[in-house]
Amino acid sequence: MSAPAPVDPAPVDPAPVDEARQEEHRAERQAPSALLRTGLQRYAIVIVFAALIAGFGIDMPSLFLTIGNLSNILGSQAVLFILVMAVLLPTVVGDFVDLSLGSSLGLSAMTLAVLNVQHGTPVLVACLAGIGAAVVVGLVNVFFVVYFDNDPFIVTLGTMTIVQGVIYIVSGNNSVGIVSTNLSNWIFTNEFLSMPLEFYYGLAIFLVVWYVLSFTPTGQKALVIGQSREVARLSGVRVNRQRAWAYIVGAAIAGVAGIAYAGTNGTVDPTAGSALILPAYAAVFLGATAIKPGRINPLGALIAVYFLATGTVGLELLGAQSYYQQIFYGAALVASVTIPKVTREKFFKRRRTA
Amino acid sequence: MPVTDSGTPGDSDQSVSLQKPPASADPPAVEVRGISKDFGSNRALDNVDLRIGHGEVLGLLGQNGSGKSTLVKVLAGVYDPEPGGRLFVGGEEVALPLAPGQASQIGLSFVYQNLALAPGLSVLENLTLGQRIAGGAWEPINWIAEHRSGAAVLDRYDVKLDLDRRTGELAPVDQARLAIVRAAEDLRRYRTRSGYKHSVLVLDEPTVFLPEEEVDRLFDLIRTVVAEGAAVLFISHDLAAVRAITDRVVVLRDGRIVGEEVTAEIHEEALVDLIVGAPARAAGTAAAETAPVEDQQAVGLTLAAMESAGDGKAAGENVLVEHLTDERLHDLSFEIGAGEILGVAGLIGSGAEELPYLLFGAHPAGFGTLRLGAETLDVAGLSPQRSVRERIALVPADRAVQGLSQSLTLWENIVMLVESEHYRRGIFRRGELVTLAREAISRFLIRPPRSHNVMSTFSGGNQQKALLAKWLLARPRLLLLHEPTQGVDVGARRDIYRFVKSAAALHHMAVLWVTTEFGELAEVCDRVIVITQGRHTATLAGEELTEEAISAAALRQTREDS
Repeated sequence: MSAPAPVDPAPVDPAPVDEARQEEHRAERQAPSALLRTGLQRYAIVIVFAALIAGFGIDMPSLFLTIGNLSNILGSQAVLFILVMAVLLPTVVGDFVDLSLGSSLGLSAMTLAVLNVQHGTPVLVACLAGIGAAVVVGLVNVFFVVYFDNDPFIVTLGTMTIVQGVIYIVSGNNSVGIVSTNLSNWIFTNEFLSMPLEFYYGLAIFLVVWYVLSFTPTGQKALVIGQSREVARLSGVRVNRQRAWAYIVGAAIAGVAGIAYAGTNGTVDPTAGSALILPAYAAVFLGATAIKPGRINPLGALIAVYFLATGTVGLELLGAQSYYQQIFYGAALVASVTIPKVTREKFFKRRRTA
Repeated sequence: MPVTDSGTPGDSDQSVSLQKPPASADPPAVEVRGISKDFGSNRALDNVDLRIGHGEVLGLLGQNGSGKSTLVKVLAGVYDPEPGGRLFVGGEEVALPLAPGQASQIGLSFVYQNLALAPGLSVLENLTLGQRIAGGAWEPINWIAEHRSGAAVLDRYDVKLDLDRRTGELAPVDQARLAIVRAAEDLRRYRTRSGYKHSVLVLDEPTVFLPEEEVDRLFDLIRTVVAEGAAVLFISHDLAAVRAITDRVVVLRDGRIVGEEVTAEIHEEALVDLIVGAPARAAGTAAAETAPVEDQQAVGLTLAAMESAGDGKAAGENVLVEHLTDERLHDLSFEIGAGEILGVAGLIGSGAEELPYLLFGAHPAGFGTLRLGAETLDVAGLSPQRSVRERIALVPADRAVQGLSQSLTLWENIVMLVESEHYRRGIFRRGELVTLAREAISRFLIRPPRSHNVMSTFSGGNQQKALLAKWLLARPRLLLLHEPTQGVDVGARRDIYRFVKSAAALHHMAVLWVTTEFGELAEVCDRVIVITQGRHTATLAGEELTEEAISAAALRQTREDS
């Protein structure tokens, strides 16, 4: 049995303990090239966005690069944008899918429509009723998901279906319209700087959500709950309470989205909202790869929504039929979870010890 | 002041008369009386009295299942104790049960084994997490100011970390230091804010992740904390650490306090006696010295059971590793004789901790050859599936996640590797497997011996024994162990040493034992190689195989050149 001779230590770098540690920490603070890569990862979507705009712009400058088009892109997505803010909340706290938010949007819109059109209820009251209806759905979710500790996916799949059924009943399976023009004015018809007002409502909601999540302890707590629920619990965070609030506030915002929907379209059909839930999640998850990679964040979601919108509007202008949108959204969703894996393998050669 | 009655037999003289050092007339920082906790019919804590003096470092010792972590969780407000217990903080009574998070408001700060750090958050966010939670829900956060004060805090404790780094990317060592700095800071703020003098830092197994040179820095950190007036509750299996840093120790066994000693006045052996319970230990030592019949049977049985379905492969082959190179290792070559237990000693970061995973194919390797007897394998081409076929076994450090399935039952875990051998003629012989598992459970002393209990209900030590049983049932030629007794209590630790030694001896199995517990290497291994900065720098055997010699050799690279 040969015992390998000890290797002569001389060739090894003779850094003493303290210097060795300093070296280590210098290396840990990322090298310029690594910073570049981090930057790329963070802003990849912005870069692709810019490329997309450039691409469409070069191809159809007269159609694409106009104020009208910009207004179209930003304005037409306002309802989706507000729904995205709604979806963001339960996702941030780690209850990854609240599928019922799309139906809550629909319920809010239909409630508003039915009350306003069929019962002559004043618009403002009808709006509040709509939001209230959405909040009720949120409360139901809280009861079954948080209180009984069930899987959010399964429960909200159930409530989504139930609410959809309620919408059919309430509407008699008919489209209901036309909602008071007062509402439409306040939401869609009136414009500020060529943008429909609903865009600004969405922006306002975004700013509040962004502020709360980034600059308040409540937001930090929500973040920890979503990232490491057990750590949050051990640290004394009232996890279930925060989760409950996320569902409720999310539902309320979905209710607002429903109001916006009614104002935008004038007529509310029973399937309102159901087609929006998937794009909303696509935007949220795609947004999680940007700005603050690995984290659900509102700014990333904002960019993602308008990135996706630009894409679909551009495709429309090119003459592609609207179902290409489906493909685009679905592809974005898949890309959103794959991109981090690719960039990690490719650019980061970090070895993790077991 | 009433003398604390620990309510336990056998130690009346020694513990009861312990008064605080005369200089201090302060009330104890924390005192509990009569704390009990039941989980169903299981009495996890039985009328525990404990006192932590002002500015004292108290060690809390006990096997897994002794009630240590239950006691900590009661203090943390995670568990509610049975009615009748009382808690005094700084001399004033606090109503039990505590609400979660309330502990930080009364001057208790905790650092758990799992560190309670959110890996997805940045260092700064984790550092300020406690403040965030304790403060108002809507106070605006000024991140720039936070950054500055965060840097100042790290400076104060002489810890260098990048505040914006994702915590999950830090080395385990740095994560541990971050957790401790955070806790110490929370205490400092508590004292400043409340004007109280008392505060207690509870450290649950802090040295587990730390190599020896870092342990000293940890102790410096602890001494700084104590100097500012905090007390420390130091919970650990690491007897050397406990003896180095604590003033007093308290031993829990089966939910009761069985000993309360001044650290300097008690020998390590006596401590082990208290922890394990003297009669068990006596049997242990005798057994270790004379290659116990029981163990022979234990291993023999598991092997024999397999021999019936055996493949007639010759027992025992030499293992030769040649030119192993990857990110951290440079041209490493060594040999393990059949039946030999080769220890690998290296500080965290030396590359030693990569070895078991490289040889198993769990981590991709750059380059190297592994020779098992007559076969030559390219290390770069290894994968876990291949290694299992080649009868190489890996017991990873992260046993709960990488070694065992927490949601399957004990017997399902144990027979996992040999199931296919009991599937004959289209019928799955479940009964045979359960019987096999039951034998293994009893021979490997897994407690409680319930084959159908879910894995997650077993303590660390018993899970490790189950993991070992699982691998040994597969008749490996080469057994790779990484930190096999991390988080394992003293009793189970000794069992594991005996099982591996017996298996190696009986079956001529080559064993590679990689750990930062150098004393363990000295006790168990036949030979130890030392790895420093990826290179093989020393070999120790025979008389020179002592803990001190190993530590010295592992440190030598850095020390010689400073």
